[in-house]
Amino acid sequence: MVITRRDQTERLLAYLISLAAILVTLFPIVWLLSIALKTQRDAFAMPPKLIFEPITDHFLALLDKPGFVEAFQNSVYVTALGVSVAIVIAVFASYGIHRFRFRGKKLFGVWLLLSYMLPEFLYIIPMYALYQRIGLYDTHIGLAFVYQVHSLPFAVWLIRSFFREVPSELDDASRIDGCSHLGTLRHVYIPMAAPGIAATAILTAIWIWNELTIALSLTFGEAQTITVAVASFRGYTSINWGAMAAASIVAIVPMLMFAVFAQKYIVKGLTLGSLKG
Amino acid sequence: MPRAGRNFAYYLIAPAVLVLAVTSLYPAVYSVVLSLYNWNWGVQFDFIGLRNYADLFKSAEFWQVLYQTFLFAVVATALELVLGLGLAVVVDRLKFGASIIRTLLLTPLMVSGIIVALMSKIVLDPMLGIVNYLLGLLGIPPSPFFGTTGTAMSTVIMVDAWWQTAFVFIIVLAGLQSLPQEPIEAARVDGANATQTFFRVKLPMLRPVLYTILIFRTIDTLKVFDIIFGTTGGGPQIATEVMQTMAYRKAFSFLQMSEAMTVMVIFSAIVLAISLVYMRLDERLAED
Repeated sequence: MVITRRDQTERLLAYLISLAAILVTLFPIVWLLSIALKTQRDAFAMPPKLIFEPITDHFLALLDKPGFVEAFQNSVYVTALGVSVAIVIAVFASYGIHRFRFRGKKLFGVWLLLSYMLPEFLYIIPMYALYQRIGLYDTHIGLAFVYQVHSLPFAVWLIRSFFREVPSELDDASRIDGCSHLGTLRHVYIPMAAPGIAATAILTAIWIWNELTIALSLTFGEAQTITVAVASFRGYTSINWGAMAAASIVAIVPMLMFAVFAQKYIVKGLTLGSLKG
Repeated sequence: MPRAGRNFAYYLIAPAVLVLAVTSLYPAVYSVVLSLYNWNWGVQFDFIGLRNYADLFKSAEFWQVLYQTFLFAVVATALELVLGLGLAVVVDRLKFGASIIRTLLLTPLMVSGIIVALMSKIVLDPMLGIVNYLLGLLGIPPSPFFGTTGTAMSTVIMVDAWWQTAFVFIIVLAGLQSLPQEPIEAARVDGANATQTFFRVKLPMLRPVLYTILIFRTIDTLKVFDIIFGTTGGGPQIATEVMQTMAYRKAFSFLQMSEAMTVMVIFSAIVLAISLVYMRLDERLAED
């Protein structure tokens, strides 16, 4: 193929647009980090200071802020619990939908989709009332359980599309070898779809870690998650940017590590779900 | 399928059915029931029939908030689709560095909505924000952003676009990269230029993908909460109030539980209708 001048110009333009997009994408996050490392005076300086003496005071202050470290831990527990429950239940349900025909299958599919799509507050207030009565309000288990209304349909949908990728000959072979249904699930589907199941777990973890709406309404002091703790800095907007920025950075870092180390899985999960769902 | 197999399928889905019965079916039914009472937390609890609905339909505030919810959803979804599609087409043309560029552009999806909200309050601060300072360097007058009723809605839409364009981008890019090459080559041999190839060949082939994205972004933007809660809180006055922030305010600030549930039942009916229409259309699309 001949590379014309026009091709070259277009390619140059494509790089320039990409660069601009990267700048717009990353700039606010980098700026947030810089605010977290600035003194109050530097943060509010006009014109903004690009060169400054970084301080770690705002991060150290978070350690002393009542409930902040606990909120981080709570998020770890709730995320681990929520993801485990969703994945285990979804693996069985996905296998059921993928492998068998049964009455009500279509209804079950519609129910899953609608559960996922309906607005959070439809669920929150009744669950709030229920949890107040049975003592699950402001608990890790209670929160992780309510998250299933979103995470479970998501996981079923995604894992099912990964099960579809498993060649049916393997399934048949395993049955001929005398494997039971559960044996086939265990020895064929789960190993074959393992990367897909991992992708689903990662995406579910990101969703739960970042969720605010439900956590804000169903937790208070004991099980408060990191997003709720960060949200409590809202009032600091005009007073203490440093504290607000530092708390935000602490909440972002685990997810950014995911983005760096598990990017392949994240893209796989995001795209397979929508390309073949 | 033998009968034993059919029963076995029910065992497999039973845990999911149980969990969803409690987390989805029970609250949905309970919400409808609650909307027929005048429940204010701990005070009243009397059956009043459809009066909550009648009151809501009569209130100008409800209609304004409903309108704003749709305004936000339609404009944000359109903006994200256009930007994400454009960006995907551009990155798809790159020979080197496409994968690192993709990684960097994916970042906003890792960030919680509440953090996006607080971050945007810092960079978009009318007086001390870096964005107004940079605009000033270009000779553009400063914007009050979240501060006035005239600019607040477009600002929250912009913030949502910063956050979620990456979702459209990443899926369209994967879609473009998995398109069959033969029709594209054929078009090129026939003398079509890049623009013609894109609009006549690639875009039609991307239709199912774009369609899925459209469903997800529409529903997701209709349900917006974090971004608005963390920036304007629905203000100034009620200029950026949407359905979910309205329900939150009614329930947890004013303890008007039944009114909040009425808002959610109506809103859920709308979301349900949109979802069902989409599902019907999607089936038809798949049959093409």
